[in-house]
Amino acid sequence: MTDIHVTVPKEKWAPVDRGAQDAEFIAAPSLTYWQDVRQRMWRNKPAMASLAFIILLILAAIFGPMLTHHTYYDQDLKLSNIPPIFEVYKTEPTDASAQYMFLNSGNFKLYEVAENGEILGLVRAKRKDLMKKQHIYVFGDAEVRVDYSQLPATLVDGDGNAIESIGYRWNQTNWFGTDSLGRDVLVRQLYGARISLTVAFVAAMVNFFIGVFYGGIAGYFGGNVDNVMMRIVEIIATIPLTLYVILMMVVFQSGFLSIIIAIGSVFWVDMARIVRGQMLSLKNQDYVAAAKTMGASTKRILTRHLLPNTMGPILVTLTLLIPSAIFIESFMSFIGLGVSVPMASWGTLTAEAVETLRAYPHQLFFPAAAISLTMFAFNFLGDGLRDALDPRLRK
Amino acid sequence: MLNYLIKRILMMALTLFLIITLTFFLMHAIPGGPFTSEKMLAPEIEAALNAKYGLDKPIWQQYLSYLQGIITFDLGPSFKYPGVRVNDLIREGLPVTAQTGFLAMLCVVALGIPLGIVAALHQNKWQDTTIMAIATMGVAIPSYVLATIALYLFALQWQLVPTFGLDSWQGYILPVLALSGFWLSFIARLSRSSLLEVLGQDYMVTARAKGLHPQTILFKHGMRNALIPIVTVLGPVVANLLTGSFVIEQIFALPGIGRHFVLSISNRDYTTIMGITIFYAAFLMLMILIVDLLYMVLDPRIKLGEKAQ
Amino acid sequence: MSSAPLLKVDNLTTHFHTSRGDVQAVRGVSFDVKPGEILGIVGESGSGKSITCLSILGLLKANGEVVDGSADFEGKQLTGLSDKQLRTIRGDDIAMIFQDPMTSLNPTLTVGEQLIETIVAHKPVSRGEARKRALELFELVKIPSAASRLDNYPHEFSGGMRQRVMIAMALTCDPKLLIADEPTTALDVTIQRQILLLLKDLQEKLGMAIILITHDLGVIAEVADRILVMYGGMVMETGDVYDVFESPQHPYTTGLLHSIPDVRSHTKQRLTPIPGSPPDMLRPPEGCPFAPRCPHAIQQCLEAMPPLFERPNAKPTVHEARCWLHHEEAPKALQSIFDAPEVSNG
Ligand SMILES: Nc1ncnc2c1ncn2[C@@H]1O[C@H](COP(=O)(O)OP(=O)(O)OP(=O)(O)O)[C@@H](O)[C@H]1O
Ligand code: SF4
Ligand SMILES: [Mg+2]
Repeated sequence: MTDIHVTVPKEKWAPVDRGAQDAEFIAAPSLTYWQDVRQRMWRNKPAMASLAFIILLILAAIFGPMLTHHTYYDQDLKLSNIPPIFEVYKTEPTDASAQYMFLNSGNFKLYEVAENGEILGLVRAKRKDLMKKQHIYVFGDAEVRVDYSQLPATLVDGDGNAIESIGYRWNQTNWFGTDSLGRDVLVRQLYGARISLTVAFVAAMVNFFIGVFYGGIAGYFGGNVDNVMMRIVEIIATIPLTLYVILMMVVFQSGFLSIIIAIGSVFWVDMARIVRGQMLSLKNQDYVAAAKTMGASTKRILTRHLLPNTMGPILVTLTLLIPSAIFIESFMSFIGLGVSVPMASWGTLTAEAVETLRAYPHQLFFPAAAISLTMFAFNFLGDGLRDALDPRLRK
Repeated sequence: MLNYLIKRILMMALTLFLIITLTFFLMHAIPGGPFTSEKMLAPEIEAALNAKYGLDKPIWQQYLSYLQGIITFDLGPSFKYPGVRVNDLIREGLPVTAQTGFLAMLCVVALGIPLGIVAALHQNKWQDTTIMAIATMGVAIPSYVLATIALYLFALQWQLVPTFGLDSWQGYILPVLALSGFWLSFIARLSRSSLLEVLGQDYMVTARAKGLHPQTILFKHGMRNALIPIVTVLGPVVANLLTGSFVIEQIFALPGIGRHFVLSISNRDYTTIMGITIFYAAFLMLMILIVDLLYMVLDPRIKLGEKAQ
Repeated sequence: MSSAPLLKVDNLTTHFHTSRGDVQAVRGVSFDVKPGEILGIVGESGSGKSITCLSILGLLKANGEVVDGSADFEGKQLTGLSDKQLRTIRGDDIAMIFQDPMTSLNPTLTVGEQLIETIVAHKPVSRGEARKRALELFELVKIPSAASRLDNYPHEFSGGMRQRVMIAMALTCDPKLLIADEPTTALDVTIQRQILLLLKDLQEKLGMAIILITHDLGVIAEVADRILVMYGGMVMETGDVYDVFESPQHPYTTGLLHSIPDVRSHTKQRLTPIPGSPPDMLRPPEGCPFAPRCPHAIQQCLEAMPPLFERPNAKPTVHEARCWLHHEEAPKALQSIFDAPEVSNG
């Protein structure tokens, strides 16, 4: 602490020259609410990574299927259940060029591949020795046997020696492999993303409008209107939404449109409640009263005063509604009530993978990862948004 | 209190009635009778079947007799299994669904809340980060994915537990885990944020300023208040455990009500769909009533019959 | 005046560690409280009044830390005590009541229970005896039909009644020092007076010392013996209430006196709030914290922190002010702003 007898230089006794600058402006510049929100969002790494993931996913879902000749329905039973990564073996007949192949250990089939992992086709066995449990293939003067007398099956040459492996290769024909009907998993994944995202977004939008409309009316008018409307919501909320969706799917029969209608028509309850609550609390605030006394019309009060202030909670509810919609859609598809074959959704893909779980467990990986990562991303985004919008965290 | 209970029960009865009516007419709005859908039955046989189940009568008569049945706790015959009544299906599946459901609920409450407390009390320390990382995975991974992965790893790959059935106690592990996974994580996250919110309240400073023991402060003042929002979601948790059991029972091949329900859907067994829906609705309303009563005990600000906003 | 101080706070410095840096909420505050006196602390929002008191009792949030200084209560160094040792003092020797009686009482426990738990935490009494004591306290703070009110929940009381409950709760163990942090701010004007008079009355009856934090200089004028004017986490002026009000020696105090309807002249006067806003405590100004808003600021004010200068006092209490204009070399012309017995530019 400064001593009271410290000498103060003469010139320091001059008054401070503030010029035009007013005391008001000396305080640190304060950000507007939305600038502040954006800044906090930007600093939230998981939320931004999630946003990037979601954007990438949307782009992939839109453009991915256009970039490949594979379709989600083309079947090729000769090339079924091929994994995305396989070990390539090499045999060198003396009278022909080197042969590369891989063994599908799930069905003991042998496929001819290029050295880089491109699939050339299924190889027909020359002979099947059921006693020794061997399939015998012949390439020029070289012989290759699939020996499944002991599992997992192995590749041996005519003398029973193991065939030389040149290591693992990424499947160049079907990057994610094929399913039990020989369809390309990657393209089906991308179509699955299309379905899941479309259902989720459309359903979320429908819910958003119904919810805002319903909750807005109830909250705005209050009184008896509110009472009756909220009673109805209470009754609806008694039953789990999944049950409603199931009943509707039973009535409408499964299909893409039905599931959008089913999900779209039941998830607005939360939204309606939030909008109503916000509306009620905002309605009593001074600035709305002020706008009213100044003769602003109902519509103007709604659009200019109430909605902008309700935006925060609505946005958060919406981002959290999307993952629930994605989940419900995949759930319904999983139990066989969603989109119908041959259309693919992440739920049906998972269900298909479950059927082949014992032989080809890897098929579970892609749909499981896709839906989980997407749910992650939306959850992180929703959480981040909620934190960013929380006025109590504002500094 | 009694008045309130009576009012609530009447309200429940009304809601149930609406749900019965709605499901009844929804099911009857489906084009074609239950016997027209798949197999091409001879018209006379179909007529005979319709007559047997009373489907030839006018719809309002069918409705009334259905209502009549429900009053006597009779949910009618199954359309698909001759001679089997929906009541039988429910009675048969109930023990399995109730056991797994109860255990899952126990997991949610007895693990979720303590984990949330630990995380809140160690905010931003490793305990918090670990618990929240797992809980975040728990809410992101759908129950059926979790169930399938668990089934593959623990039952098929490592053979630690049976793949299906509830013959041994190990059989319960995976279904209960998969069923409770999401809500366990959800409750852990909710408990954490709720407790953190309460810890920041003025009355917690008051409690400290009074020189109370930290344990008293945490449990008597902190947890009691933090539990209120947790209790409000317990109703929906029960509901969602029920619907969750649809897939879990399917994946683990458990003979519960959920499996009957899913089967009845693919069989288009309308009376069974209707019956189980109504059974669930009634059960859930009972649970919600219990949760509300619990809620009132915890929060004295809630007057009987009206919820504070 | 010769009696030893009950509480002696010396150079108390408190920081909050946040993601954006350290918030220097309290910066070297020193004062003392003598037994049985009422010390008023005034200052704008954010000036560090509450944090000063919370630091004394070790009630800071997890991110707060007393980084320097000490608080000595009856010879015990409060700032060095463990939480366990502090617990025996909190609510017993030193009690505290807070601004908002709506949020400071636990909504899920009956008020009786909240009193009783405090009593049994400090005194070796049964719950029955504690309840009897709680009832006495309710009567002491003039809660009507006290016996039946013990089993009510906080939401069943009006704001004024809740503050009475808070006061009763603070008095459970006959504290030697009561810290009242804006006890009337959240209440209606008429209720404010009642609560204030009750506090004054109780203080006279029970003989405890009170630290009364408030925004309201009128309140201080009415009940306090001494006053501490805080700004930017520091003491700006301190002295006997009479001295400070009659001849404020700091431009901030002058500003505060302007910003209330005049309590001294009892004439109707226009409210003139001090323009500008308090400093950002993340990066407080190097010099006088008030300089950016001070109408009399000089170059020196921006560059160096003014020390506390002793000022003439009519009352026995020391009168000090933290303003460069009291420096011995200051031109007389500048000092003249403090000369006028009345606030000049009204
Ligand atoms: N937990 C915290 N983290 C960071 N900064 C804090 C925290 N608590 C208080 N502060 C800061 O400390 C400073 C002093 O706060 P304090 O509560 O003491 O002000 P006050 O004078 O009591 O104001 P009021 O009249 O509004 O009660 C403020 O700038 C405030 O922002
Ligand atoms: S030190 Fe300077 S800026 Fe501070 S109060 Fe005095 S004159 Fe004003
Ligand atoms: Mg304060």
